[in-house]
Amino acid sequence: MSQARLLGEVLRERGVSRRAFLKYAGYMASLMALPPSAAGAMAEGLAKARRQAVIWLSFQECTGCIESLTRSFSPSLEDLIFDFISLDYQHALQAASGEAAEEARRQSMRENKGKYIVIVDGSVPMGDGGVYSTVAGHTNQAILAETIADAAAVVAVGTCAAFGGLPEADPNPTGAVPISQLVGDKPLINIPGCPPMPQAMAGTLLHILSFGKLPELDHLHRPRAFFGENIHDRCYRRPFYERGLFAKAFDDEGAREGWCLYELGCKGPVTYNACASLKWNGGVSFPIQSGHGCIGCSEPRFWDRGGLYRALPTGTSDVRKVIGIAAVAGVALGAGAAALARRRSAATRDAAAAPPAKTPSPQE
Amino acid sequence: MDLLDFARGPALTFAGAVFVLGTLWRLSGVLLLPRLRDLSPPREGAPAPWRGALGTVLRRMWPRREFLDRTMFSTVNSYVFHIGLAVTVFGLAPHILFIRNFSGLSWPALPSNVVFAVGVITLVSLFAALARRLTHPVLKLLSHTGDYLSWALTTLPVLTGLLATAHLGARYETLLALHILSIAAFLIWFPFGKLMHAFLFVFSRGATGVRFSHRGVKA
Amino acid sequence: MDTLSPGAGPIDAPAAAVLREVVARLQRLAREPDFSDAIDLHSLPLGESGREQLRQRLGQGEVDCALQVAGATRICETAYAGAWWVRHADADDRTQHEQIVIARVPALLLAHSDDIGDAARRLAEELAAPACQEIS
Repeated sequence: MSQARLLGEVLRERGVSRRAFLKYAGYMASLMALPPSAAGAMAEGLAKARRQAVIWLSFQECTGCIESLTRSFSPSLEDLIFDFISLDYQHALQAASGEAAEEARRQSMRENKGKYIVIVDGSVPMGDGGVYSTVAGHTNQAILAETIADAAAVVAVGTCAAFGGLPEADPNPTGAVPISQLVGDKPLINIPGCPPMPQAMAGTLLHILSFGKLPELDHLHRPRAFFGENIHDRCYRRPFYERGLFAKAFDDEGAREGWCLYELGCKGPVTYNACASLKWNGGVSFPIQSGHGCIGCSEPRFWDRGGLYRALPTGTSDVRKVIGIAAVAGVALGAGAAALARRRSAATRDAAAAPPAKTPSPQE
Repeated sequence: MDLLDFARGPALTFAGAVFVLGTLWRLSGVLLLPRLRDLSPPREGAPAPWRGALGTVLRRMWPRREFLDRTMFSTVNSYVFHIGLAVTVFGLAPHILFIRNFSGLSWPALPSNVVFAVGVITLVSLFAALARRLTHPVLKLLSHTGDYLSWALTTLPVLTGLLATAHLGARYETLLALHILSIAAFLIWFPFGKLMHAFLFVFSRGATGVRFSHRGVKA
Repeated sequence: MDTLSPGAGPIDAPAAAVLREVVARLQRLAREPDFSDAIDLHSLPLGESGREQLRQRLGQGEVDCALQVAGATRICETAYAGAWWVRHADADDRTQHEQIVIARVPALLLAHSDDIGDAARRLAEELAAPACQEIS
């Protein structure tokens, strides 16, 4: 349940000083590429905000998104986000269950009408009336519609919610759709990634809380602060790409030297995320640093781009059959044209060689 | 499906099919035509027909002395952009990957920045060729839409490739998609215009060579 | 006692670029005492070795503070007055975030007016409480 008192007071009673606000804001401001001066403003904004009611809906998901957020590396700093928000409903974290949990959700919706934020992870199945994912007997679609009706904003977290993700991949048996197709004109933020970076989730929430508005978004509704640059532009292996030094197979000479993984299917050049600069698990590493190409997990339909190990410059379809048919057809057309030409020239030859036809004389 | 997925998928497949079908149609259509055989005896000392053909193909790689002055620009400039295209297409690592994907063949790549420099030179040379075509009165008179289309569809891949490598003008995935789509357009047009000279020049020079070497002339 | 001890040793291009930034900001701080800025070290293409080089080069100054604010933070003045090295660590003492702050004193070290007001009130209340434990 959200408080009527300001965050500054509430947290001070728990021993969280304004200095802690400043430290947290400073950390988040640098993550979001805001100027250092923004940290002060962010801390002030936070202290004057009220605890934000958040309802987290989980649909066709693997729970990786909430795991990413809660298993963040630095318990003391990242956990602060849970002091700033009132997480009134979340399947993995809440103590209540069953009808009590559903009632907690509805109560939060009533008490915070027009002001609560809905976070969604997982896609929504629409096939066969939406029966492939239900909670308490209601379809995901119905729960989503009911919950976002009086929400201030919707945040689709994870690639499944943002773009459909794994459930939506070929052949999409459940008719999964991304949340963006179901929110109408509610303000929407997508924070994709499989899973998303915890800083992206926490930083975006913090931005909304401190400044009272959504952060700047790109054409796919992703916050530019975390999704404005592509992996390729921040990759430490970029100099090898520029010089044309590529690993040809996993664990070969080039791979051991740390050369570029472009030929092994790295999708870094077409993927926008913060992992190349912020890295995972407290800046320890990220896929490319560990020797595996980027799979493009924060982009739409990354499962269906021809395969994780298919290099970007190659075609994605198997063309052999088509080319084979085209070749046969081409030769057939050419042979047919040549045959027609042969017949025409034979007819001309015959006409030239034959005696002239007897023309009837005028007297006959 | 976004633009890049379309370019790498259906567009390339369709373009490849049209290219193969069209090229084989024209080649087999020409090669299966009835041939006029010269029934007269060859000149004494005349080489075998295939040698005559090969000789003419190679000899005409450079203009005769009498014509060199007037054809110097187009000869040199054409060599520049033809060699430039070959180096760019076959020397860049991502291109070798593309070719390996459907043919299984691969070979060592050149340094990417060297290829980029060659690409720039190729682009300049292609624009010089266009300028020549537009300003030379005879060339301008003879040129038609198909010629300009062949020029445009050869230049666009070079231009979009340079832009994509330099990450200039749009997001990388858009630039890459445009580059692949320009290749698709090139492949679709190829069999139907003068770009077919790439395959046909051997046969046309060869035919001339057979005919003239029969009479003892090194054409 | 030589507490101002900048290090020597090799320094590569990205680290050298950061040092030039530090110089520019220090010059501005010298002219404008209220100026404050920070260079975020983890968003630059520096790498672990680059940061280490910078740390060595900037050295240790006269002030060394340990903070316990939502996790441990260490703020040291470098051998160059006005340039401070701020390191935030997590519970396992792994570096989470590092900055070079250019200011007379980093804002984190200052007590916030709200906290001060609260502290004054608290101490006053504690002193005014029944003096059960007061020893006369």
